[in-house]
Amino acid sequence: MQEAKMIKITDLEKFYRTEEVETIALNKLSIEVKKGEFVAIMGPSGCGKSTLLNILGMLDDPDDGSYMFNGVEVAHYTERKRADLRKHNIGFVFQSFNLIDELTVFENVELPLIYTGVPSAERVKRVEEVLDKMQIMHRRNHYPQQLSGGQQQRVAIARAVVNKPKLILADEPTGNLDSSNGNDVMELLTDLNEQGTTIIMVTHSEHDARYSHRIIRLLDGQTVMENIMI
Amino acid sequence: MLRNYLKTAWRNLLKNKFYSLINIAGLTAGLAIGILILLWVQDELSFDSFHKQTKNIYRLELWGGTGASKQIWQSPVAPMGVLAKQQLPEVKDEVRLTGNYFFSLYKYQDKVFGNEKAIFADPSFFSVFDFPIIEGNASNPFASDNSVVITRKTAKKYFGDQNPLSKVIVADGNANFTVSGVINDFPANSSINCDMIMPMSFHIKKMYADNKVDLNSDFNNYSYDTYLLLKPGTSLKSLSAKLFKIHIGHKSDDTDADYLLLPLSKMHLYNADLTDKGIETVRIFIVIALLILVIACINYVNLSTARSMLRSKEISMRKIVGAAKAHLFMQFIVETALLFSIATILAFGLIYVLMPLFNQVSGKQLIFDLTDYHIWTVIFITITGTLAASSIYPALLLSSFEPLKALKGKISAGIGDIMFRKILVVTQFMFSVVLIIGTIVITGQLNYIRSKELGYDKSNVFSFWMRDMAKHYDAVKAELLKQPGVLDVTRSNQNIVRIGGISGDNDWDGKAPGQTFIVHPIAVDKDFISFFKMNLVKGAGFTGAITDTTHLILNEAAIKEIGMKNPIGKRFRMWKFKGTIIGVIKDFHFASMKEKIAPAVFYYYPQYLNTIYIKTTGQDAPKAIRAAQDQFKQYNGEYPFGYAFLDEIFNSLYQGEQREGTLFTYFATIAIFICSLGLLGLAAFTAQVRTREIGVRKVLGASVSGIVGLLAKDFIKLVLIAILIAVPVAWFSMNKWLQAFAYRINISWWVFLLAGSIAILIAFITISFQSVKAALSNPVNSLRSE
Repeated sequence: MQEAKMIKITDLEKFYRTEEVETIALNKLSIEVKKGEFVAIMGPSGCGKSTLLNILGMLDDPDDGSYMFNGVEVAHYTERKRADLRKHNIGFVFQSFNLIDELTVFENVELPLIYTGVPSAERVKRVEEVLDKMQIMHRRNHYPQQLSGGQQQRVAIARAVVNKPKLILADEPTGNLDSSNGNDVMELLTDLNEQGTTIIMVTHSEHDARYSHRIIRLLDGQTVMENIMI
Repeated sequence: MLRNYLKTAWRNLLKNKFYSLINIAGLTAGLAIGILILLWVQDELSFDSFHKQTKNIYRLELWGGTGASKQIWQSPVAPMGVLAKQQLPEVKDEVRLTGNYFFSLYKYQDKVFGNEKAIFADPSFFSVFDFPIIEGNASNPFASDNSVVITRKTAKKYFGDQNPLSKVIVADGNANFTVSGVINDFPANSSINCDMIMPMSFHIKKMYADNKVDLNSDFNNYSYDTYLLLKPGTSLKSLSAKLFKIHIGHKSDDTDADYLLLPLSKMHLYNADLTDKGIETVRIFIVIALLILVIACINYVNLSTARSMLRSKEISMRKIVGAAKAHLFMQFIVETALLFSIATILAFGLIYVLMPLFNQVSGKQLIFDLTDYHIWTVIFITITGTLAASSIYPALLLSSFEPLKALKGKISAGIGDIMFRKILVVTQFMFSVVLIIGTIVITGQLNYIRSKELGYDKSNVFSFWMRDMAKHYDAVKAELLKQPGVLDVTRSNQNIVRIGGISGDNDWDGKAPGQTFIVHPIAVDKDFISFFKMNLVKGAGFTGAITDTTHLILNEAAIKEIGMKNPIGKRFRMWKFKGTIIGVIKDFHFASMKEKIAPAVFYYYPQYLNTIYIKTTGQDAPKAIRAAQDQFKQYNGEYPFGYAFLDEIFNSLYQGEQREGTLFTYFATIAIFICSLGLLGLAAFTAQVRTREIGVRKVLGASVSGIVGLLAKDFIKLVLIAILIAVPVAWFSMNKWLQAFAYRINISWWVFLLAGSIAILIAFITISFQSVKAALSNPVNSLRSE
């Protein structure tokens, strides 16, 4: 059976311009990701990894090329449409966690549900469920500054998955963690993937990349190699 | 959702205590002062509008005279109201009012009162205006000519808790008035007010007792305020023409009579020709309220946009996890609203505290009563206006962050943004500098008035109305001159500080046909000119000889206006006084400095001289006053003795300006205070974002003063630009203000220099707090914090 494509980008281009120089971040890049895949993107600094992830996450728009998400062309969607698509389909995990300092663990995780209009009682249920799964329930009323890095990243992952997204984009999720906490995070992502969530992860770590099904290696905004992991 | 917004807002507020404090303090001060001023404005604008028929009530006034003598007479000829009602169908009713010059002492049993304000009015007073009879017969308020209607307060004062109806008040021991009705006390915003109202029929009977004409055919009497109740939709222009026709039909000489209909609701702030009688001050105050509110809003906008870059991470994450622009926009509106709610509550407290002081300075009786819905109109408009002004821009700015850039800290607060903030700071300081210049100019003008040579010496002179003592003046004067504190005594028929009466009925040698001339006559004693050290420029003064009753002394302004050459010995007639001009007196100020010195004429008529002046010394004034009081009591018995120093009367001429000056000083102080708060916040913010730069510079050897200079320089530059813009604006508007004075100062360059220096000094002190702190901190700390 033909596996359904979640993402298909074709000849994607992105430039960064300052007054004097134009940098090509993505150079006619084409990639496909199937539903349920776990893909790692690797490459040296400045190769366009993060740019790609941002475009995939609809945080940024490409200068040229096509981006089909679940069979729909989204490359030139308006900010409003992208935001709408994003909040229902995509969860983000960042290297620096990016939790909101003024909100407690519970409130941070609850936030996506608020913006998608989930009723209060349902929110409590779902947040508790996911905090439980991430084994961070006992910290629900703490503020981010009161947690260790590993705990913070678990909260961030909880926030990313609470809305049951079809796709998780992770930007060096273990970059700020020690190896033990890093491994925990990778296990969590693997579990999520096994439960059906598609994962695209940018990483510098060969170790982390091994958790994925496939590694895409970028250089100067182009794919140089793809490794299929067994 | 709302809960989440409020929660975040509240935590943000607590986390950044310094900025929250600055914002709340600035908004509280701004809102409190803004609301206070606007309540004052509301009160001013509400005058006389509480009558159900306000829209259809007009006060009848008229232009009289031509050329320089043309002026508004505030009361028409006495029969006009009655004739208008009889002859013109559009006039539904009329009311005449006049003051009481008959009585000054009122008694009920053993209680004696002397300060009552009584008026005479037609019975229609109670139906045209909303002063309804609450006790007594409303359809017939005055049962007889000797009835009186009193206010509730007066009733309480005279009769305590007894029923006031049918009680008898004795006036001056010779007239009995039976209380026939009680009305509510006059509202504070009523131009018409008094303690008791007596029937016009009594007044007419007394005035015209031995007269051949009656009031309704006396076309020479201009002493009855007249109000007309018109049918809705009446054309004022055609009514004015019809009134003129009636007037000219009875008095064909008065071709210059031009009737004006002043709407009742405008009576408080406008003259009958709709020129300024207070509306200008109301406008100035509205502008000041807006300036202060704008300054407070700018603080908020500046601080919240400046600090927005510190919040970029939170905003981005909210966007990434699904917040739409509208969500974020609402979040910041809620945040602002929370801060405003706190500031509003504090402002209410501040208003309560300030109200007595404000009332004292502004001469009002405002009550800050939150159950009064009128107050809420002002509060609602002020709060929503300022809330909208301060929240929309920051909310738009914050909600439009691009999440990625914001997350990476690449929001540089944008160049345009910084420019925008700079413009706002300049605007704030410009307003403050304008207010400072305004304060200096007003104070300067008031000082000028106080110290200006008036043309007569009013120092240490007090005066009062002699009543029956006037008949024994020579004995009184002799007695007073024996007293140690009394230097000199004289008399006239009205107070020199403010000569009220006018005569338009004049004739003189060489009068051109049709030439009209209005002059202020004052009857004086023979030693009046020497008493006040006035200068005779030509001729001689009065000697007290019997022939002096046919002698007149004119002031220079009078001679100039009638264009008379060699006036001495020329014939001059005023009313029935025919005589020759024996002298010309140098011009002196007998009215407000707002008016040019007008024509005046001194005449000698001892029977009229009922105002006494006593010159004393600063030290012996109490002795002189006691001596005067003894004399007064000797001849006037129970009548209360009241005196006033000419200086006090003189100052009361400028009470309005005095108040304006004091309020201006307060407002300018508040404005600069709020500006400084904003600057303090911005300076702290700048020091915070430039921490690293400061650290690096210090490592490289920069001195503390160098760093302070570096941080202060940018702000001082803005203040300088503000001063440059403020100078012409202030010059223009204050010159306009000064135009209201016929005698005024010129605004000199040092005013601007002084105002500018004050602004720079305050700005510099404010900035220094933060800059010195930043400059003194250990460079390692700042570098490590990166």
